[in-house]
Amino acid sequence: MGFWFFRVCLKLFGLSGAYGLLYFVCVHYLLFDKKAVTNALAYIKRRFPGCGWFKSQVKVYRLFVSQGKQLIDRFAIISGTAKFDIELKGYERLSALLADKNKGFVLLTAHVGNWQVALTTLKNMHKPVYLVMRPEDNAAVRESLNIDAQDDFIRVISPEGYLGGVVEAMNVLREGSIVSIMGDRKYGFEGIDISFLKDRAYFPFGAFSIAASSNCPVVVLLSAKLPGRKYIVDVSHVLFPGYEGTKDKREQLRKYVQEFAGVLDKYVEEYPYQCFLFHDVWRAA
Amino acid sequence: MESNNSQSLVEIRKKLKQLLVTSLSLEGVKPEDIKDDEILFGEGLGLDSLDAVEIVVLLQRNFGLEVKDMSQGKKIFYSVDTLVNYIYENQKK
Repeated sequence: MGFWFFRVCLKLFGLSGAYGLLYFVCVHYLLFDKKAVTNALAYIKRRFPGCGWFKSQVKVYRLFVSQGKQLIDRFAIISGTAKFDIELKGYERLSALLADKNKGFVLLTAHVGNWQVALTTLKNMHKPVYLVMRPEDNAAVRESLNIDAQDDFIRVISPEGYLGGVVEAMNVLREGSIVSIMGDRKYGFEGIDISFLKDRAYFPFGAFSIAASSNCPVVVLLSAKLPGRKYIVDVSHVLFPGYEGTKDKREQLRKYVQEFAGVLDKYVEEYPYQCFLFHDVWRAA
Repeated sequence: MESNNSQSLVEIRKKLKQLLVTSLSLEGVKPEDIKDDEILFGEGLGLDSLDAVEIVVLLQRNFGLEVKDMSQGKKIFYSVDTLVNYIYENQKK
């Protein structure tokens, strides 16, 4: 969905008006954007097994509306059009990690909730965050994160750079910075099969291999929209990947990737309409 | 002087090959099996991004080196020889 649309709606009709228009816009996407529907169904049919065709379509529609609302919220927050309460869960653990000035950590995000809002919330960390992000996603994410106005708080590493950007990521971690990586879609990284929503899925392990080799923890960053104008940002899940002996490192990383998938399993159980993967992570590619 | 430099280069090459085998757990590969001009990623040794992470750690722990300029990354990590030359040239500084 075009970012311009939400910005204009927000300016013209305010938050409630923009939400209202969304219900019509999402019908259009449900009827005519077959690719988006197919991608959404990959998740819906696993989250709601046994659902018939009609019910599945209704759930896809709810997912579209939910994502649209969060996009609108994002612009409302950036533009200052509306105020939201943002509750931060697990900041004590994060704070302890931030206290170590010479060591960074990996911030593992996923296509759930409003991860951009969650990231913006953490700008008080006083450490630069390097987003591992494809160049083609740059414009949209830059805009939604208001990157250029964040006083260099957020910087970008391309996973399409040489060796998937791992060398740059490790360099900045060593300097005490934070590297943010998507943990549920492979992009430039290699994947490993794990169980997600009781089916075999393929998640990337790059974040964990970088963390294990840099001796850095992995902080899972999740956010969810709550009723009313409220979000919860959860950073309470911290993983400490490491290797034992010389056993197959890829295999050793599997348990950490699985642990992360388990965190997401619980998340989508609680917030079924806030999983915006829109990608068939269950298909080997 | 020339001889000393060459000796160092040989030592670095030998050490690097040993480290590649042990750090990357290259099964069935002996250090002496690795050619000097062996390509590291894709073809040649067939290393992947997980191995890239290990090579970065290996460079730091064993040679005290960091590759800061990633515009040079492709050139440096191309083959055993290019990596050896990088270590050699930067250790001298």
